Amino acid sequence: MSSVPTFKDEITNLMYATHGKPISDCLQCGTCSGTCPAVEFMDHTPRLIIGMIGAGLKDEVLESNTFWSCASCYHCSVRCPAGIDIADMMYALKRYSMWKDRHQEGLIGPAFSQTFVKMIVGSGRSFEPALAPTYLFKYGPRGLVQEAQIATGLVLKGRMPLLPTKIKGLKGFQNIVRRIIPIGDPS
Amino acid sequence: MRLYAYYPGCSLESLAQGYNLSTIEVAGALGLELNEIKDWNCCGATAYFPVDELLAHTLVARNLALAEKDGMSDFVAPCSACYKNAYFTNKYLRQDHDLAEHINYALEADHLHVDGSLQVRHLIEVFLQDVGLEAIRRQVSRPLKGLKVAPYYGCQLLRPRKDHEDTEDPRFFEDLLSAIGAEPVPYASKTRCCGGSLIVTNRKAALDMVRILLEDAAAHHADVIATVCPMCNVNLEVYQSQVNREFGTEFSVPVMYFTQLMGVAFGLRQDRLGIGKEMVSGTPLLAFAEASK
Amino acid sequence: MTEKIGVYVCHCGTNIAGTVDVKGVAEWAAARLKHRGVIVGREYKFMCSSLGQELIEKDIKELGLTRVVVAACSPHLHEKTFRTACERAGLNPYLCELISIREQVSWVHTDKSAATEKSKAVVAGGVERVIYNEPLEPLMVPIHADTLVVGGGIAGIQAALEIADAGYHVCLVEREPSIGGHMAQFDKTFPTLDCSACILTPKMVQVGTHPNITLMTWSEVEKVDGYVGSFTATVRRKARHVNTDSCTGCGICWEKCPKKVVDTVFEVGLGNRKAIYTPFAQAVPRYPVIDVENCTYFKNGKCKACQLFCPTEPNSIDFDQTDELVEVKAGNIILATGYDLFDATRIAQYGYGRLSNVFTSLEIERMCNAAGPTEGRVVLRDMKTAPTSVVIVHCVGSRDENYNKYCSGICCMQSLKFAHLIMERTGAEVHNCYIDIRTPFKDYEEFYKRVLEEGGQFIRGKVAEITDVARSADEEGKLIVQVEDTLIGKQRRIPADMVILSAGLEPRHDAKEVGKMFGIACGASGWYTERHPKLDPVATMTEGIMIAGCVQGPKDIPASVAQGAAAAARVLGKIQQGEMALEPIKASINEDACSGCRICNGLCPFNAILFHEDKMVSEINAALCQGCGTCVAACPAGVISGTGFSDAQIMAQIEGLMLLNVGPEPVAA
Repeated sequence: MSSVPTFKDEITNLMYATHGKPISDCLQCGTCSGTCPAVEFMDHTPRLIIGMIGAGLKDEVLESNTFWSCASCYHCSVRCPAGIDIADMMYALKRYSMWKDRHQEGLIGPAFSQTFVKMIVGSGRSFEPALAPTYLFKYGPRGLVQEAQIATGLVLKGRMPLLPTKIKGLKGFQNIVRRIIPIGDPS
Repeated sequence: MRLYAYYPGCSLESLAQGYNLSTIEVAGALGLELNEIKDWNCCGATAYFPVDELLAHTLVARNLALAEKDGMSDFVAPCSACYKNAYFTNKYLRQDHDLAEHINYALEADHLHVDGSLQVRHLIEVFLQDVGLEAIRRQVSRPLKGLKVAPYYGCQLLRPRKDHEDTEDPRFFEDLLSAIGAEPVPYASKTRCCGGSLIVTNRKAALDMVRILLEDAAAHHADVIATVCPMCNVNLEVYQSQVNREFGTEFSVPVMYFTQLMGVAFGLRQDRLGIGKEMVSGTPLLAFAEASK
Repeated sequence: MTEKIGVYVCHCGTNIAGTVDVKGVAEWAAARLKHRGVIVGREYKFMCSSLGQELIEKDIKELGLTRVVVAACSPHLHEKTFRTACERAGLNPYLCELISIREQVSWVHTDKSAATEKSKAVVAGGVERVIYNEPLEPLMVPIHADTLVVGGGIAGIQAALEIADAGYHVCLVEREPSIGGHMAQFDKTFPTLDCSACILTPKMVQVGTHPNITLMTWSEVEKVDGYVGSFTATVRRKARHVNTDSCTGCGICWEKCPKKVVDTVFEVGLGNRKAIYTPFAQAVPRYPVIDVENCTYFKNGKCKACQLFCPTEPNSIDFDQTDELVEVKAGNIILATGYDLFDATRIAQYGYGRLSNVFTSLEIERMCNAAGPTEGRVVLRDMKTAPTSVVIVHCVGSRDENYNKYCSGICCMQSLKFAHLIMERTGAEVHNCYIDIRTPFKDYEEFYKRVLEEGGQFIRGKVAEITDVARSADEEGKLIVQVEDTLIGKQRRIPADMVILSAGLEPRHDAKEVGKMFGIACGASGWYTERHPKLDPVATMTEGIMIAGCVQGPKDIPASVAQGAAAAARVLGKIQQGEMALEPIKASINEDACSGCRICNGLCPFNAILFHEDKMVSEINAALCQGCGTCVAACPAGVISGTGFSDAQIMAQIEGLMLLNVGPEPVAA
């Protein structure tokens, strides 16, 4: 006899690190949302997202920008009276959102994370300029100019990497990655 | 000479090179040998977890394995995000045999293995616990007298809880600043988030969060903000002009790494500490340092 | 000679019968254990019912049973039922064994045939064991008619008065200079808004003048010896440095005393007292005490103003007075030592201790109290400005994995009370920030309604942080309470002049040590453990020690009073019976074989084993022994045996479980 996992089950299953404190324990007290420094920029508060997950409102949750606005500061998690790791839940929602390729339109987070991972798998080290395309064009013309100014400033101070670096043991590194996620045959 | 596996992290290569330089200088002055892990890879900061949790831990684990391979017992990271990732990956590998099996299976493809024997430390923790305030005080030849420093702890150094220190009102950073002769400025937002990667993915939110920090530090007359993380430093410093543009404010607060301040207090050469590459002029600090020569 | 054993297997409705073939087990016992002495095997729907019990009684009388085995629920529930039934029928109750095939079989297995086989083994075990049972008589101990009540708060006061009024003597020991406890600190009590002192002080006076109560204040119990019916407590009567025979409580000494001290106990740090003081005006007894740590004379030999001005003849101040150790004999002890308030400085983000206008509930009680440090005016820390906006924070340190997991029960009503009093006295805007409003008891919900009608504001959200960092002009100079208003789903910043933290209740900081001294246990949260959480809340697992009031868990005044009275009733019952029967299931040491290694001494959780230095052997005090079996198992020489759980009984039971003595299948005719 199989049972279809609820949306809450699905999200809880994606939270490895918090084994032992599922989001079912939430009292809806609001400490997380009262603490969150980014809450003003979220369309639903963290507490409300947990409530919506419990109520099975998958579409509304995935349409929300809340979890993509989470800075992972963990302040909610350390203060939560029910001991829930809410920041970790936000990561789980991000993973779910990436997996199902469903998220609010216009968000930079999904493309940024994906590009970042691809970049690392390809070279082992991060290279800021490679990430620029994921967000630059979403900033609008004014934002683009400001970003260019900052980048120029950093270049002039010698703080901007101009060439990407690769780790020496890249092949071995990619073999490791291949045992976790499929990244195609070694060339 | 106490030996440590040193994991600088991606940003210390260019963006936060001042942190890297000053760390190595100050560690040397304190008798600590930092052995940079050969061929380390990016820890992912907050970018891997939105994609795949297992991959995230595996990529971090490779660095732990490299340090273990070198026969090291302590893994030190100067960046709070790298520290947090390494600490928890290490902890989970120790506690969860299934996870360790899975990750070690992946690492074996490159002849690597983690057995969880490392102690993962943040740089500031190593200075405070292994060297101690007394020894730090002894190294000070130019106490930063009268310099008001706002200690910015940030988030991931303290949170999630790592079995030590108060996460709401810790005092160890203030104690360190006092030990180098500076005047730590008490301000409530010292553990409030700088926005981290939101500076890219949700700029408005991050700029607001930075503004609140700058406002609080400035309201308490801080001459400089001291940081323990390159992400925090970049957000507070590189984007300070953006904050001013966005909110019509006029902040001009220098933001420096705590190791740079320590280096100045130890009388080390400023160019060797990476000072001089700031976007927000470190003039007050430089002038101060000049005055106390 | 084989015993005549009756085996009774209970269905327990479908609890056992749903998983075990009870009829089969009964028939099996009668057939296959016949050669061991089983002469009858019955099954019945509910053995514990009167009809079920009558089955046993009838068989004892008519078949001359010498042993009874009942296979049913846990002995914890009905062992006494079946033993009493046997007694009624004339069989020694200790020749009856109740073995569990419910908790041990039907409730933990789902495979019916396996469960049935296991039940048969369990029954065989019971049969083999019961053969070795001995007829036992309960131990009778005398009950001393005096009672010791520890703690002079409302629960202790109630208990003492009930017993004293019934004509028996009580010794009431209280740590502070006066009785009254926390209730004496309060202003008004919910929901009636009765003045706390007005309803408490008449009881306090009764205690102080009662011919049957010996009141020892400024005293603490240091040691407890003995067992139910004959306890001996050593009480340290700390030196007051005041001669209570001559002191009239006139108050001139504390008036003239030049040394002001911050009163951190009664006034919770909000007000002062003198170095010689009574904690409050209506103190019982009225004799002051000298705080030697702060008294000028004790610190540097100067002053003596109190002695100088004392008008009594002889002078009542005695600087040379010493502590006195007094032995109190009692048959029963009631512990009613109350609670401590959660230390709100532990929650750094609430700013208590750092931000001056953040107060705790007890501080506000003192502030509202007309006899308190502000004479009842609700003002800020500057002691003069009245607040215009107040936020009351619920669940401080309660319902929180990071501090105390439990709900402290009284803080919602206390917060509503504060809202009412503050609105009444200052006209301020009052916000209650809560997770739930818990108003379960008589007139509590109506009180909540009243506060709503009076204009109290409510924000459903647990306060995240309290700060003085202003983000706009409106916030300048105020305390900002940052909280999510969960009912509208938005984070709000509420500017306030005053913030009140409804801190939770905690066990006394030394509750564990005190519990150890009396031989009772604390639960995980530190409150003392009652004998049964539902059906026996004032007794403990240690006979003769009762608990009453908040010491058993957070509760309001009516519940504390009820528990004080309940504990008193239990004690009075024992006193009136004059003696008490103790279960004879005890351990005993074979003195001749004991080598004096003393391993058992330290292991006994009830401190029941004494060591005789002269004979170099240990001896078990049968009255204190609870028959737990720890020493029996630990003795390396195996010289301790348990009455009712002897080695022979246990070995036999094991053989029975292994089905070693089961007779052959009866051959079909």
